[in-house]
Amino acid sequence: MNKESVIIIENVTKRFPVGEGEFTALKNINLQFKRGEFTGLVGPSGSGKTTLLNIIGSLDSPTEGKAIVLGKNISDLSHQESALLRNKHIGFIFQVYNLLPVYTVFENVEFALLLQDYSKEERKKMVMEALEWVGLAGMADKKPDKLSGGEGQRVAIARAMVKRPEIVIADEPSANLDAANTHAILKTMKQLNEELGTTFLFSTHDEKVMGYLERIIHLRDGAVEEDEIIEANIINR
Amino acid sequence: MIQFLLKGILRDKSRSLLPITVVSIGVALTVMLSAYMEGAFGDMIDQNARFETGHVKVMTQAYAENKEQLPNDLAILGVDELTESLRSDFPQMEWVNRIKFGGLIDVPDENGETKGQGPAAGIALDLFGANSREAQRLNIESSLVTGTMPTKKGEALIGHDFSEKLNVKIGDEVTFFGTTMNSSMTFQNFIVSGTIRFGAASMDRGALIVDISDAQHMLDMEDASGELLGFSKLNVYDDDQTQEMAAQFNAKHTKDDDEFSPIMLPLREQNNLGPMLDYSNMMSGIFIFIFVFAMSIVLWNTGLLGGLRRYQEFGIRLALGEAKGQIYRSLLMEAVLIGIIGSIVGTAIGLAVAYYLQVVGIDISGYMDNSTMLMPSVLRAKVTPGLFFIGFIPGLLAMVFGNMLSGIGIYKRETARLFKELEV
Ligand SMILES: Nc1ncnc2c1ncn2[C@@H]1O[C@H](COP(=O)(O)OP(=O)(O)OP(=O)(O)O)[C@@H](O)[C@H]1O
Ligand SMILES: [Mg+2]
Repeated sequence: MNKESVIIIENVTKRFPVGEGEFTALKNINLQFKRGEFTGLVGPSGSGKTTLLNIIGSLDSPTEGKAIVLGKNISDLSHQESALLRNKHIGFIFQVYNLLPVYTVFENVEFALLLQDYSKEERKKMVMEALEWVGLAGMADKKPDKLSGGEGQRVAIARAMVKRPEIVIADEPSANLDAANTHAILKTMKQLNEELGTTFLFSTHDEKVMGYLERIIHLRDGAVEEDEIIEANIINR
Repeated sequence: MIQFLLKGILRDKSRSLLPITVVSIGVALTVMLSAYMEGAFGDMIDQNARFETGHVKVMTQAYAENKEQLPNDLAILGVDELTESLRSDFPQMEWVNRIKFGGLIDVPDENGETKGQGPAAGIALDLFGANSREAQRLNIESSLVTGTMPTKKGEALIGHDFSEKLNVKIGDEVTFFGTTMNSSMTFQNFIVSGTIRFGAASMDRGALIVDISDAQHMLDMEDASGELLGFSKLNVYDDDQTQEMAAQFNAKHTKDDDEFSPIMLPLREQNNLGPMLDYSNMMSGIFIFIFVFAMSIVLWNTGLLGGLRRYQEFGIRLALGEAKGQIYRSLLMEAVLIGIIGSIVGTAIGLAVAYYLQVVGIDISGYMDNSTMLMPSVLRAKVTPGLFFIGFIPGLLAMVFGNMLSGIGIYKRETARLFKELEV
């Protein structure tokens, strides 16, 4: 099936100023991601996974080259425009689930919708639906500190998914989870990927996560070492 | 969104408690001190008006220039006519004559020999007039330590301390020695009807209070008076109104080439009370400025600490699609909410304390023994309507200002750096 590319990375280089000199974190990367991919960036620590995900998530911009996300060149966006892009189209899941501790599970998920013009009823419906996707509808009124690590990460998935973004970026989402929880959240994400057609982009060291990926991009020292399609994991759609 | 912020503030004690406490304390102090100043200055000005300056005072120009010397030889002549014309020109004021005079009080023993002497600081005023409020104005009745008010000519009140020192009893006779308006010697016997203590040191030293008719008689001042005081019938000093009145009077009566022509001075132009009036108006402004400044610095730093703690939250919110500007604005919105809460709490505390001071006061008479300034010996606060919102100025300003400064950190940081805080 010939699907459009939602993310196009062209000759992207990222350098960080370090002391007097510079450190090159990404070296001339060329990649394309199609709608509905379930792909992971894999590589040793410091290989540039987070740096690349941040650029795709419009939290950072390339030093050289172009990163085009959903038709927009990241380098050309103003603060507001990149915020809008994240707000409408990109969901983030972090290594630590990072819920706001003063708000309930429901409010944490709802927060993602507050920036858009949904009515209170619409928000409620969407939040409860997202919590059902991750199997936590019964915990809507709990505070984050009452949740286990796995539950917290599921809330974070609900928060990333509630606005039905086109792209979800998950930076080492299983780093703090045990095996059972890792499998549980990956199954959930895989299912959402299939049902909603959301593009998922991971970074991971985790073998268990790799077991679900349809495509694995190996990074080393800021360069693409190998771009591997895992046919076995691709479900015919 | 505001609802969300408010929930956050109320649930996160560490975010709200310290700033609310700081704002409350600052606001409470502002309110208290303003009330205190209002009360202290108000009392001071009121006392001065009642004892010394009136709301306006008419003297001859020459008298006005030398009034510390109590120069009764420069007194106003034909004062009855002038008083009448003032009553008809300015009916909103009550006009009264007073004579201040200096001399000696001599206390004789049973043989008529001098037992003791002391300087006299005499005040003569209308004690017997049916409608006179002079005794009341000077708080004479409540300042009596022993005896009663003079009820007829030839009776006088003397300072209580003086009477104790020279062992003068009620009903004893004392003799006043002094000079008349025409600079000849005069003496007059008075029966002591009572002793008095005002509680203001400068008033109590050598106090001798007699009726104005007695003074006019003994000082050869028939139809003359050193001072002609005007008091607003509403008993409030209106700075603008009195200045206008003085200008009007002076244009009509004051002549440059006649130093015996009368001049009217508003309270502001007497006893250096002008700077005091301005000062009292300025004080609240100064307090507000000081507190805004000091509190801003404290809140800036608490904001910085709180902000550091919240970089994680900001990172999440950036990821969820808030722009930095939106986060910054929401911080300021939080600051406004906290500022309002703190101002309400602080104003309530400040008003409560001010009210206590208004009712009870602080007795400072112990510090005032040697003061020559006419000052009330119990300082009191005064609760005025302005106090209900004066605290909101520093409360809100400081909070918003402090957070504006600390929030700049969000802008300074790269989005990706804020975001990095999310990695553990
Ligand atoms: N803001 C920055 N300033 C300087 N150097 C940076 C910055 N961000 C990242 N780097 C460097 O760039 C390199 C790549 O970092 P990155 O975080 O992308 O690695 P990673 O593959 O995500 O590693 P990990 O698996 O540990 O998360 C690292 O050597 C890091 O030190
Ligand atoms: Mg990383």
